[in-house]
Amino acid sequence: MNTNNNVYTIIYTTVIVVVVAALLAFVSQSLKGKQEANEKADTISQMLTAAQFGTKAEFQKQGNAAVLAKYAEEIGEAFLINENGEKVADLPLDQVLSPKELKRQNYNIKGGANKTGDAAIPVFKFKNGKTVVPIYGAGLWGPVWGYIAFEDDLKTIAGAYFDHESETAGLGAKIKDDPTFQAEFVGEKPDFSGAKVFEIVKGGSPKEADGSETIDNKIDAITGATMTSNGLTDAINVWLTAYAKYFQGAAPAEKECCGEDCEGECEGEECDNKEVEE
Amino acid sequence: MNAKLKETILNPIFKGNPITVLVLGICSSLAVTVTLKGALVMALSVIVVCGISSLILSLLRNTIPGRVRIIVQLVVVAMMVILVDQILKSFEATYAIDKQLSVYIGLIITNCIVMGRIEAFALGNKPWPSFLDGVANGAGYGLILLIVAFFRELLGSGTLFGIDILNRFGYVPNNLVILPPFALILLGCIVWVQRSIQKDLQEK
Repeated sequence: MNTNNNVYTIIYTTVIVVVVAALLAFVSQSLKGKQEANEKADTISQMLTAAQFGTKAEFQKQGNAAVLAKYAEEIGEAFLINENGEKVADLPLDQVLSPKELKRQNYNIKGGANKTGDAAIPVFKFKNGKTVVPIYGAGLWGPVWGYIAFEDDLKTIAGAYFDHESETAGLGAKIKDDPTFQAEFVGEKPDFSGAKVFEIVKGGSPKEADGSETIDNKIDAITGATMTSNGLTDAINVWLTAYAKYFQGAAPAEKECCGEDCEGECEGEECDNKEVEE
Repeated sequence: MNAKLKETILNPIFKGNPITVLVLGICSSLAVTVTLKGALVMALSVIVVCGISSLILSLLRNTIPGRVRIIVQLVVVAMMVILVDQILKSFEATYAIDKQLSVYIGLIITNCIVMGRIEAFALGNKPWPSFLDGVANGAGYGLILLIVAFFRELLGSGTLFGIDILNRFGYVPNNLVILPPFALILLGCIVWVQRSIQKDLQEK
């Protein structure tokens, strides 16, 4: 048989491409559920890690089912907010946003040509008072994203976890692999009034006189991963700025500063002083 | 097993190793050898892709139109690569490692070893020897990958398979080892060792 004539060649290639495409479509459809379950459990374990319920390695060891159970036990409230920091819709408690969804929201926050609608960014409140918000942006080779947990005052960072698609292993990939980098975030306070909400810079900020870490909005960047550190800084700034109004609106009011004897006269600093005097 | 089949299996492991002798598949061996676990999964993936693509194409070899044979090879190899990627993503145990290897699993299709062995061997031989040739070449590739990854993970992170080995003795991980150029230096050393054992490979 002559395998070189045109009709044969065209029919042969058509048949092979159709068979392969059908097979791949079938496999992709039948494995889709499992893959999405894995991705969801991965995302949830990142949020739990940010909120300091355990380490990513521990969650990985425990498996998907344990991670989902832990999340169901700890999550209190999940909802979407608009750009004015107002709650617009509840999220089902078993729903999280995949990195793909974060990418879409990232465009919506930043505006521009890729905008697909109004920004509706998620807030996840845990029963122990911690609030977890996602961040998303561009690293050096691909997207970086992650979760930042805040204490119940919505000012102090309680923990953070970051992930990436293709940062350099051993350098940029440390945003994910190095727990000491993530631990640096704990206790820091983003500055919502300044030019930069948060900065990851060489050296961070100088230590306090007694050698303890300064509480501010700067932490030490990763050696050899300046581009990834800068990308992460941008991602954190864009997203935390988008959350700023919500944080201000939802933060618990300052504690009543004066006792019964001050009869509502007191305001602001006066009260603080009074309390100190007492 | 006859001598010829034995030769088909053993040759790619050492004497005709695809990386150190044929110098194929260098790019990915620089990229995925930062950790042993990554190298192991990559090696197994290449063995599966190489073996099964060779088998399929060897079965089809008499029907493939000569003018479009490279395209047919590409379609089959691409199919195998996507299948492996999809399957790795579907299991809890391999999901994290697939995420870490990210694009490199997909890039197995550009690995010259796969297409090279199909073109050079599978299209001219019966299915069973072709399958063994594919598996053996994948194994030869994987062996070098594991050797390189062993040194890179040990010296670059102080661990082996993620288990702390050197760090507990106060070892400071060497960042140079993590970077791809060091993998090239290591590969050079392996080629050097091999050529000093196998004198017939030395150029006069």
